[in-house]
Amino acid sequence: MYIYLPIAEQPIHSLAILSVGAFLGLIMGLVGVGGGFLLTPIMMFLGIPPPVAVASVANQLVAPSVSGVLSHWKRSNVDFKMGTVLLLGGVVGSSIGVLLFNFLGKIGQLDFVIKSSYVIFLTLIGTLMFSESLRLTLRTSRGKISRGKLHQHNWLHGLPFKIRFRKSKLYISILLPILIGVVVGILAALMGIGGGFIIVPAMIYLLGMPTSLVVGTSLFQIIFVAANTTILQASQNQTVDIVLATILLLGSVVGVQVGSRFTNILKGEYLRLILSSIIILVSLKLLIDLITVPSDLFSVIISR
Amino acid sequence: MNFFFHINLIFLVMTLTSNTFAQNQIVADLSQENVKISTDFQGAKILLFGAYDGEKGDDIIVIVTGPKGLVTVQKKEKIFGVWVNTKKVNYINAPKYLSISSNRKIEDILNKKTQKISEIGLNNFNIRIQPGIKVENEKQWRQALTRNMLKSKLWSVNENSVSLNKDALFRSFLKLPSNVITGQFEVKILHYRNSKLVSQQINSINVSKSGISAEIYDIAQNYSTLYGIFAVFLAILVGWGSNLIFRKV
Repeated sequence: MYIYLPIAEQPIHSLAILSVGAFLGLIMGLVGVGGGFLLTPIMMFLGIPPPVAVASVANQLVAPSVSGVLSHWKRSNVDFKMGTVLLLGGVVGSSIGVLLFNFLGKIGQLDFVIKSSYVIFLTLIGTLMFSESLRLTLRTSRGKISRGKLHQHNWLHGLPFKIRFRKSKLYISILLPILIGVVVGILAALMGIGGGFIIVPAMIYLLGMPTSLVVGTSLFQIIFVAANTTILQASQNQTVDIVLATILLLGSVVGVQVGSRFTNILKGEYLRLILSSIIILVSLKLLIDLITVPSDLFSVIISR
Repeated sequence: MNFFFHINLIFLVMTLTSNTFAQNQIVADLSQENVKISTDFQGAKILLFGAYDGEKGDDIIVIVTGPKGLVTVQKKEKIFGVWVNTKKVNYINAPKYLSISSNRKIEDILNKKTQKISEIGLNNFNIRIQPGIKVENEKQWRQALTRNMLKSKLWSVNENSVSLNKDALFRSFLKLPSNVITGQFEVKILHYRNSKLVSQQINSINVSKSGISAEIYDIAQNYSTLYGIFAVFLAILVGWGSNLIFRKV
């Protein structure tokens, strides 16, 4: 059944969008990350204009994040104090991101910046995830389990304004999570992502948070970053397609719930291996689009 | 529907005969003058039909022009191995929809010069480039505009799509693609005899959004912040609701 999208101004097959949403929700439920950064490129492959794709995906991300936080909260897996500090940075960052988005649109480089950021980040994260999960898979199959230190200390932990995060068992400078929040916020607004795939590794490797708290806390801050991005995109650029977002989010909330029920059955390492392969494939497709000679060097933008 | 068209046609022919073909005239009507873009819109097909005072060998050309406005053509160049948009040309009054239909090949109806003078043909339309920008190789940009508009199906040339009947009746289907822009469309029907314009008529089609899709668009434009807040609120509600539902499953 085709449905006309009022903001994207084109019809799209609603069942196709619903199943894309469900599939991405499933991945999110299984792995904890991976909503936006796959969804936005897929929307672009389906012919949704990049500005509308980015803004609408930010909108849809709110739903599975709320749903996810609620279930993590029940298991007491959310550090609200850390989440609040991160989201303060995130709100600032996403506001900068939307302004940047506006500016790039005006000078006609938005498509290029969105696509090349995807190539860079997807390749980076995909490769890291792939090698990490491959190592873990090999290690568990050999049956060796090693326990390292709680976390590594480095120069980042020497910054001033230290604050205690009781839940995460951390005593670190408040500047660090704020800075992470800002950077992730900018990328989130620019790329139509929650930023989970950047913030989760940052929380583990830069902040040294316990892994059990990472997903719940990142989802908590994603709600606010995505909400801020949505409202700003709507008011600044009028690019949020509520119909597209709603179909996507209906699919994704179901997918998330189904996925989170299977997490105990399927092995996390295998999942990450599969996910990272998908990520690498998507970034390859985008890279090929950027480097091969376009079939037409000219393109047309029709102002509405 | 078909029945009414026939009644209409008969009526048209009667009007014509009662005028005893005093002037060379053409009468036309459209099956639909208002196109509504609602949630199930997938494009529209409109029947243009009418009567003309014809002789053997007469030709009919139908030109539909949509709203005009800014259309930007961008050109990509290779920089450090990647293809980036580097140059652009703004066309300030380009038709955002254009279809040229005829009963046979336009080059057989009119010679190149006449086509150019009467602005018939995709490259013969007078479209202005934003002043103040120096454009090199203007022809290449105009061709790129035409090529891309054709690809998007917003521009089209449909030769042999006007059917003539007994030198008195004509009909043609006008197709509006699903990505059509809203606004006023001008339908110009031109009747040629030996490459000379005998008569013409102008009809119009109004394309607008309607129903829920129109309301969403209006709200997004006019109450944009409120729209954003509502979109977020809706997402929170669905997220929270799904959690409640699935907790019990």
